[in-house]
Amino acid sequence: MALVGVPLLVWWLCAISAGPESYEYFLSWFNWGYLGYIILVGMSFAFFEHMYSGLRHFVLDAGAGYELQTNKMWSIAVPLAAILTTGAMWLYIVSKNIF
Amino acid sequence: MGSGTNIGRVRGLGSAQEGAHHWIVQRVTAVSNLLLVLWLVFSLVRLPQYGHELMVEWLSSPLVAVPMMLMLVSIFWHLRIGLQVLIEDYVPDHGVKFGLIVLLNFFAIGGAALGIFSVAKIAFTGVAA
Repeated sequence: MALVGVPLLVWWLCAISAGPESYEYFLSWFNWGYLGYIILVGMSFAFFEHMYSGLRHFVLDAGAGYELQTNKMWSIAVPLAAILTTGAMWLYIVSKNIF
Repeated sequence: MGSGTNIGRVRGLGSAQEGAHHWIVQRVTAVSNLLLVLWLVFSLVRLPQYGHELMVEWLSSPLVAVPMMLMLVSIFWHLRIGLQVLIEDYVPDHGVKFGLIVLLNFFAIGGAALGIFSVAKIAFTGVAA
């Protein structure tokens, strides 16, 4: 996220601020085959994974959840929740474009 | 305090007295990232399309431009602290470590400035075609 997602975010803002032509150029990269979808699906998964993992660490910072079974359960639940949330988000995006 | 091994030289000195602030800022920016990036995700997903005209109009609104700028500060601050710890923990050579931390600071501060300037330009000028 720090090395791919954030530079993309800044590029996106820069391209918008520089005018329609720069923005078209930015979009031309995203519309190159499935590149845009691959990157955006990847970045959304990376974000949700980081988000759930961060929430898990807030609980751990509070000193809770260190029992072996509990800790293992949440360590497995975090990537699963990230996959489900990413899937739900893209399902919404796809359905929005169809209906 | 001996002059032998690294551990021998620091044993008994207590804590460095400055780690907690770093640790707390990482958590504070984590909470603000949580709110601001979720705001961005929900906002982007709900936009009808992503043409240039609409993007400019959307980013010109104070309730978009301000959280966007705050998000850039929060994100870059969080990633700067996070990558700093990554570098400190995994780069053994002191010279390389120093160089990477300098680069990281240039990247974080420069990137944040570029992003904030872009949003400000869109918000204040509306972008002439």
